[in-house]
Amino acid sequence: MSEIRTYADNRQPLDRNWLHKQWRHLRLWRRFLLQAVVRETHYRAHFATTLLVGLVQLGLGIVPILLLFGFTQEVHGWSRAEVITLVGAYQIITGLMAAFVAPNLQRMTEYIAEGELDGVLLRPVSSQLYLTLRWINVAELSNVASGIAVLVIGLVQSGASPNVPQLLQAFVLAVCGLALLSTVWSAMSFLAFWLQSVNPIGFIYLNLVEAGRYPLVFFPVPVRAFLTFAFPVAFATTYPVQALAGDLGWTPVAGGIALSVVAVTLVRMLWRRGLRSYASASS
Amino acid sequence: MDTVVRNLRVLRRMTAAQIVQQSIYRGAWIIFMAANICVPIISLLIWRTAIANGAQLPIDDRYVTSYFVVLSFVTMATSSWLTGFLANDIRLGKLSSWMVRPASLLLTFVANNVAEKFLKLFALVPMIGVLWWIFRDSMNLPAGPDRWAVFAVSLVLGAILVFTIDILIASLAFWMDDVTALAQARVLIASVLSGAVVPLALMPDWSRGFVDNQPFRYTVSFPVEIVAGGLSGQELLVGLGIQAAYVFVFGILARLVWAVGIRAYSAVGA
Repeated sequence: MSEIRTYADNRQPLDRNWLHKQWRHLRLWRRFLLQAVVRETHYRAHFATTLLVGLVQLGLGIVPILLLFGFTQEVHGWSRAEVITLVGAYQIITGLMAAFVAPNLQRMTEYIAEGELDGVLLRPVSSQLYLTLRWINVAELSNVASGIAVLVIGLVQSGASPNVPQLLQAFVLAVCGLALLSTVWSAMSFLAFWLQSVNPIGFIYLNLVEAGRYPLVFFPVPVRAFLTFAFPVAFATTYPVQALAGDLGWTPVAGGIALSVVAVTLVRMLWRRGLRSYASASS
Repeated sequence: MDTVVRNLRVLRRMTAAQIVQQSIYRGAWIIFMAANICVPIISLLIWRTAIANGAQLPIDDRYVTSYFVVLSFVTMATSSWLTGFLANDIRLGKLSSWMVRPASLLLTFVANNVAEKFLKLFALVPMIGVLWWIFRDSMNLPAGPDRWAVFAVSLVLGAILVFTIDILIASLAFWMDDVTALAQARVLIASVLSGAVVPLALMPDWSRGFVDNQPFRYTVSFPVEIVAGGLSGQELLVGLGIQAAYVFVFGILARLVWAVGIRAYSAVGA
């Protein structure tokens, strides 16, 4: 390829090195967060409604569990308290997704079908990161708080007293689960490059993720495989709670990290492919 | 009589137009239906596991299986999404242009509802068919055609009931600025009380009297119960009677609130 002719002055590249680039993106994300907090203070009623709806949903989510354990003491080795811990974990993870990831992926159709992506591509920022994390719904963090409360109640009731390594396992697994669910949802949303409209696909994700309310062993074996590897909600709820209860080794943790690396790489490739097929809607 | 005939003619035309319009989104309907069937399948698997694991439920696994297989069909068939749209039309004044037309705005919503269900049917029935085939050996199904006929009647009554409840809530937009929160609350409460999350047969004994007689049972659970079994001939008749009574009461209420609301309506241009 011959040299690109440019009329601009020679300039230093924006980033001195890889580390600097990551740091710059982190600072940018901090700005997004601050802006979101300021925005939220303008819509206090929205905050109150989100909080209230979140609490009602949490309550209704526990109803089937309470009913189920009204008829039995344990199901496949899970007691009521342990499943309530799991509901807490589910609430935390879905709250985090709804706060940081959902507001972005729900805009994917607009970005791609209406050509808004053009404006993003011109900015000196990783476009995938920008599209996945630009918008933050601060009010959803109230659901994370209520999830933590339920998690603690469940842990106290089940009499679990996790030590530091177990806490670490649970934390790493939950982070992997969060990363895996985000990549799966991203991958589903990036299909917008080829399908034009992906709004309904978000519903599939939101309905499938409901499976995370229950321990993995409550499902038949083929479904368990699906919920571990294809739609890896198991890493977000079942495994962290098992780690807290102390009956999980480091193997699933290593598996979770490996799977996350693979998933992130794959979704990165999908994004690159999609970008190449992007023809811009406005130009 | 003439008005009824004229309205029916308008309805037929509008439904046909809506079907044409909405079939543009046929891909979306398939995905929506695939999403809708996820939660019933999850519940089905969970409750079957509980029974297989020795949980002492008041219902057996045949009932649970038939219940959840039929559930997604019934929730679709009796669903309505008009609250948000109708409230918006009232709030933003779109109702004004309908007041000078020779048909009610509500008629477009009926047409929209019927068209939407007609198209969803094509997407949903094959999916339920697959589910049915997988679980064909562990389902209770009524043998004769009479139960199925009663099921069909109860399904239509359920759909009308949901539709009128939604009109009632949306009509509050004549007086309130925002009914979104109210509509959301109704959806959440109905999801539990209608039996869409957990079969009502599993509700605790102390709640029986209330759960069995509240209106939301007749929007989803009752038609499903007719197919899944467990209802005696007498319970069936009483249930149908209560369902018809609810349709009648909510119909009158909705009609009344709508009529009062139209008079109170004061959007720009009205």
